[in-house]
Amino acid sequence: MKTNICTVHVASPLRSYTKGATKVIAKGASLQEVLADLDQQFPGMRFRMIDEQNHIREHIRLSINTQMTNDLMHPLKSGDVLHLICALSGG
Amino acid sequence: MTLTREELGRYSRHLSLSEFGIIGQEKLKAAKVVVIGAGGLGSPALLYLAAAGVGTLGIVDFDKVDISNLQRQVLFTNEDIGQSKAAVATQRLAALNPQITIQSHDVEINASNVMDILSSYDIVIDGCDRFVTRYLVNDACVLLHKPLVSAAIHRFEGQALTYVPDQGPCYRCLFPEPPAGDLVPNCATAGVLGVLPGVMGTIQATEAIKLITGIGEVLNGRLLTYDALEMRFATFEFKRRSDCAVCGDSPTITVPAEQLVACATPDDDTSISIAELQALLTQASTRKLQLIDVRDPHEYTLGHLPSAINIPLALLDTQWNSLDRNKLTIFICRSGMRSQQACQLAVQHGLTSAVNVSGGLQQWNDTVDVSRRCII
Repeated sequence: MKTNICTVHVASPLRSYTKGATKVIAKGASLQEVLADLDQQFPGMRFRMIDEQNHIREHIRLSINTQMTNDLMHPLKSGDVLHLICALSGG
Repeated sequence: MTLTREELGRYSRHLSLSEFGIIGQEKLKAAKVVVIGAGGLGSPALLYLAAAGVGTLGIVDFDKVDISNLQRQVLFTNEDIGQSKAAVATQRLAALNPQITIQSHDVEINASNVMDILSSYDIVIDGCDRFVTRYLVNDACVLLHKPLVSAAIHRFEGQALTYVPDQGPCYRCLFPEPPAGDLVPNCATAGVLGVLPGVMGTIQATEAIKLITGIGEVLNGRLLTYDALEMRFATFEFKRRSDCAVCGDSPTITVPAEQLVACATPDDDTSISIAELQALLTQASTRKLQLIDVRDPHEYTLGHLPSAINIPLALLDTQWNSLDRNKLTIFICRSGMRSQQACQLAVQHGLTSAVNVSGGLQQWNDTVDVSRRCII
């Protein structure tokens, strides 16, 4: 079975999980699977984005390439870029 | 609003732009723009808007200049430390361009004054540093039908978007609710690259000038992100939400209100006040308690409480065995945010007797050590 590999751009407030890495690689055929893989690599990271009801948190947006989505079943293909976007407060 | 002879000279490089011309410059002269926060974002935004000839500029800030501001807040100099930001900014901008009007609002913007302050301006620029204010200003702009240019920063990353009334989504359409209080730290806690707000505040000024003059395309329905580490700009389209609490089809927010930013563990039995800390430090023997300062080493070096041991939050995971589980462990930091996280981690690692100091050293300095020997 083919494994889809995508690049994930990590929002600044989530980089504490990736040891400061601004982008990482994750595998999965859907957004759900990619987030699960991220959590496997960086424990606790998924919960910062997805709540107990499996909804994307209100201060987080996920964008596949340039298209924002709320659908965790959204398919991903190899070469896609997932952007993890987080509301910022600094000024 | 016609330009004087002196103004024709001052703005000659604008007048040479065919997209701009005299009409564009006259629109700038007639415009009234208010900037919320004369900090990292507000400094470059105000400087460029004043230089560009925006006729009336409002400055809203109740803070005073601190030495830690000078690394990025380019409106201020060393001589301004301790002075009112709004007052210093007014002087600085008047010196840059004496032909504009500057209105200083040396107040904390809140639910009771936000409509009054914003209503006399055409465009709002948000450069605040708190989620509570960010949502309050967004909601007020939607209710007042005022365009809003919003930006925010964190460490090496910036974001910007522009709300155009009746033509696109608002900030709340993008992020309906703020995060829990301890999930996205501010500049004081997380740090920020000094030039980052320079880039983002300048983008805000650019957006305001385009809104006023009607040239180009603004970030309406687009979030712009900037990653200084990667040197990457990106834009993401987003749409108005029909269920948006303020600009949606059936809004639930009809008057501005300061939305409480929920904390993961609000004042609970793991938090102690400054007064309680003071009493514990006075009464209890150090044999019974250990005070852990979880700030970074450079902050600790600048000043700390006498009995405090420095274990930065990021290193706590490697230091659990060095902590005495038979003692009361008190975590302290600058504002109480990092110490709260440390306290949660401690409980997860079996330190049942752990508390954090609510308000941190900031409050200690305000209430106990008013001479501020403990620099934060």
